[in-house]
Amino acid sequence: MAVVSPSESANKGRSDLIAYATLSLISIFCAVPFFWVLLASFDGNSQLFLHWPEQWTFANYVRVFTKEDGAKWLFNSLFVVGSATLLVMVLAGLGGYALSRTRAWWKLPFLYAILLIRVLPPTALVVPLYKFLLTLNNAEAAVLRPIFGSYARDIMRWTGFIDGYLGLILVLATMQLPLALWIMKTFFDGLPRDYEEAALMDGATLIQRIRRVLIPLALPGLAAAGLFAFMSAWGDFLLPLIFLSSPELQTLPLGLFRAFLRINEIDYGLLTALAFIYLLPAVVAFGFARRFLVQTFSGGVKG
Amino acid sequence: MARNSHEKRAERQWLLILLPSLVLLLAFVIYPAIYSIYLSFTNEALTGAAALRPRFVGFRNYARLFNDAKFWNALFVTFVFVIGSAVIGQFVLGLISAMALRRPIRFRRLFSSIILLPNAAPEVVAGFMWISMLAGGNNATLSRIVGFFGVTPADWLQVFPLSMIIVVNTWRGIATAMILLTAGLSTIPAEIYEAARMDGATPSQTFRRITLPLMMPTILLYMLISAVSTIAVFGLVYALTRGGPGGATEVISIYIYNQSFTAFQLGYGAAVAVVALVISLILGIAYVRAMKVEV
Repeated sequence: MAVVSPSESANKGRSDLIAYATLSLISIFCAVPFFWVLLASFDGNSQLFLHWPEQWTFANYVRVFTKEDGAKWLFNSLFVVGSATLLVMVLAGLGGYALSRTRAWWKLPFLYAILLIRVLPPTALVVPLYKFLLTLNNAEAAVLRPIFGSYARDIMRWTGFIDGYLGLILVLATMQLPLALWIMKTFFDGLPRDYEEAALMDGATLIQRIRRVLIPLALPGLAAAGLFAFMSAWGDFLLPLIFLSSPELQTLPLGLFRAFLRINEIDYGLLTALAFIYLLPAVVAFGFARRFLVQTFSGGVKG
Repeated sequence: MARNSHEKRAERQWLLILLPSLVLLLAFVIYPAIYSIYLSFTNEALTGAAALRPRFVGFRNYARLFNDAKFWNALFVTFVFVIGSAVIGQFVLGLISAMALRRPIRFRRLFSSIILLPNAAPEVVAGFMWISMLAGGNNATLSRIVGFFGVTPADWLQVFPLSMIIVVNTWRGIATAMILLTAGLSTIPAEIYEAARMDGATPSQTFRRITLPLMMPTILLYMLISAVSTIAVFGLVYALTRGGPGGATEVISIYIYNQSFTAFQLGYGAAVAVVALVISLILGIAYVRAMKVEV
């Protein structure tokens, strides 16, 4: 059966060659734009176009953290996106578990509804969202000001809905929730109920079952949901653009964008160093998510 | 009887656990979506008299949409953008990659990692990378590359703005198409190809008669997913062209943003937003139906 005729193996060799050629071309198309960020960030004389650095230097990276607000932007991004990701993991872990185990009538409509929610373009939601957050913000300020006086402003920086961390964290988390809920629901569906039932027999409460049995079992699913949430929240540009205005609250994409807007004096070394710092966590997360990515998408297609 | 009431209590417990997610989704997605419909019937604005005392104006915003050339332009640009980048660009390159990666060749992991890379680039960074590729006329990276092959350099973003954002969005989405189509390809049984080979089918016959028809459900799902996500693209186009030059790349999400935050016409912007919401919802419902979700 395994006999391969000469013409057939020649045919196979040619097909492989075609595969190599097309994959190489597509890979070059995918990779070339990255070279500019990489090379220019280590270049003492960075330009807008791609060229090989004549003098290699770390000065751009040093400047990002010393002369510019790079450290602040990085902290803001990590804090906001990190908090949103944690929130998503907790909520989707609980909600996904409920969605997997319940047999209530609302389960099916809810699952369809969150699929449709995911479809809505964020740009179409930001104006009403902005107005709503502004209302919440004013209400919060009205309560805080009489109590904390001049300290209210400092508190609002952390808990404000507009131009504060809290609003952005909540909105970013909400945008990631539908996908995360689906991931966790599918994950718990694949988890045998034996452990929980054993724990139930032992008289464990729901909270105990969740803490001792489910969380350890759910970690891979939570990791997947968290990675997806982190990746898209990290890359998001629209929400911080609209909800933040104070310079001290700016996140990396905003800092980067503003740095690029200094039309006459764009410092490409600084810009690319900043871009590389912003790129790195995204690529690392993507590397980890690869495995889940294939599973999630193929899981979605299977249905 | 006792068991039944116990179950009922358990079901209420599940709802309680889901409640925090439900509250966030209601507050920050559902409520804004409904509020958006309300806003679209008012003359709400961010500044001026209307900001202090917005009025209900009925269907006036929607009537204005009909006569707004920039709105129709935005719909048209969005349509071309979706067809060009998601339906054609990402799909063709994703399918080619998926099929090539099925062969047992070397460096498969390396190739697929490189193809996945653009998808990891945050929108703004992707925008800047491509500004470096395209902007600067004769000095632009692309001009230098194609100049090597004798092609006349150009100010690509000025001369071919819409084509260029299509290229960039294609670049960014090959990975998604590749992953989805790989999953679809893997569901086709190898025996069918074996049988076709026995019957002496040529590769192009095999592709047209077996691969494409059997992939149709996957392709349909891919088309719906990618159309929906392409309509939502904002940051990439904003970083590259901000809708210009002269509205040539003003996709609907950019138009909504410009109306609301540059022209400060919140009511009118909301009417455009409602159109975008309706189009996305229709595609989304088609997606959910095509997916036949297993619950």
